[in-house]
Amino acid sequence: MHREPGPVAAATPAATMASVDPDVALMLRVQAGEQAAFQELFRKYSPRVLQYVRRMLASDARAEEVTQDVFVQVFRFRARYRPESRFSTWVFTIATNLCLNELRRPERQLRVDLWDDRAEEGRREGPSLADPAAVGPEEGASARELSQRLDAAIRQLPEKQRAALLLSRIDGLAYTDVASALGCSEGAVKALVFRATQSLKAAVREFL
Amino acid sequence: MRCGRARRWMAAALDDELSVRRRHALDRHLARCAACRDEMAVSGRLAEALARLPMTAEVPAAVEQATLRRVRMLAADEGERAPWLRVFVPALATAGIVVLAVLGTLRLPSGRPEARSGTSQTAAARRSEKPVAVAEAGRTARPARRGRPPGPPPALAAAPELFVDLPLLHNMEKLEHFDAIRMTTLDDDTSGDARQSNG
Repeated sequence: MHREPGPVAAATPAATMASVDPDVALMLRVQAGEQAAFQELFRKYSPRVLQYVRRMLASDARAEEVTQDVFVQVFRFRARYRPESRFSTWVFTIATNLCLNELRRPERQLRVDLWDDRAEEGRREGPSLADPAAVGPEEGASARELSQRLDAAIRQLPEKQRAALLLSRIDGLAYTDVASALGCSEGAVKALVFRATQSLKAAVREFL
Repeated sequence: MRCGRARRWMAAALDDELSVRRRHALDRHLARCAACRDEMAVSGRLAEALARLPMTAEVPAAVEQATLRRVRMLAADEGERAPWLRVFVPALATAGIVVLAVLGTLRLPSGRPEARSGTSQTAAARRSEKPVAVAEAGRTARPARRGRPPGPPPALAAAPELFVDLPLLHNMEKLEHFDAIRMTTLDDDTSGDARQSNG
């Protein structure tokens, strides 16, 4: 699993951070008003953000709208970004907040139901990649089925457990960054991930 | 070690966050507990399966174009409120207020005594027992304004008891557009109504 390194010391100057982290350098250019740098950041991060938002909201259409909103917010509040923190943490914090707002909207239930009707029709990203360790078509099919079951089980998790699990286990953010994105302590994030994992194990145990 | 604690430590072990001493204790427990050993294996396979889930999705070109369009509009809005403009406009407004205040101070000495005497006379008139006389005193203190009636109609002048205390009579100019205000609703064209009522 890809996992990002821990947070960098807050006292590091912006120039040093920019030389260490290319995303920080891009964000500093965005802060200077360079739209080409913004486009580069969008192309780099929007696939991850869209996938995260899609899993959070379980709705393709809303996920695309919210992903747009995430990056518009990134641009609108670019002056608030501090180079001491990683760009990925900042962008996933914005994405998480927008997703939680969206999930708490009262008219959302109807949209989820509509999406559920076509959930099995196949998604734009297609089925998950076949298990590279699998040798035959049967193993590949079972890996695909496991992925589909996992996605369905993730959709059933409570929203905070889902966010904590997705950010830490799939997007590979460090616990401290997940805590920052969710606005809670690192211990609380570990507890959320533990409970989410227990639920997933119960849901897909027969496929593991 | 009990199985409950072992299961809590399994998560930390999978994250490589368990101390060496605790890891040895967990291993000893796993060696003699088949259920926890099975649970550990399932946890490991689940972590692998989660890590294999696609981390990215294909972003439709329309989403990128829409986002960039919104950002360009945002940047254009911000450009209209350029930094020099954001400083210049409030500075100009402040300077205007200061100029008006200075001009007002220069004009006050000539107008103030009259205003003060008018105010005191009006206040005295309100305290008076004879309203008609007071109203006349007020009128003499204040210069007659354009459009203001010279006095009450004869029918009312014959009945001084009706003039108990009517400060509105000193502010008739405020009632000039009373009809227009009364007739106007939120949905009406204000200027049209005003024209109608005035006409």
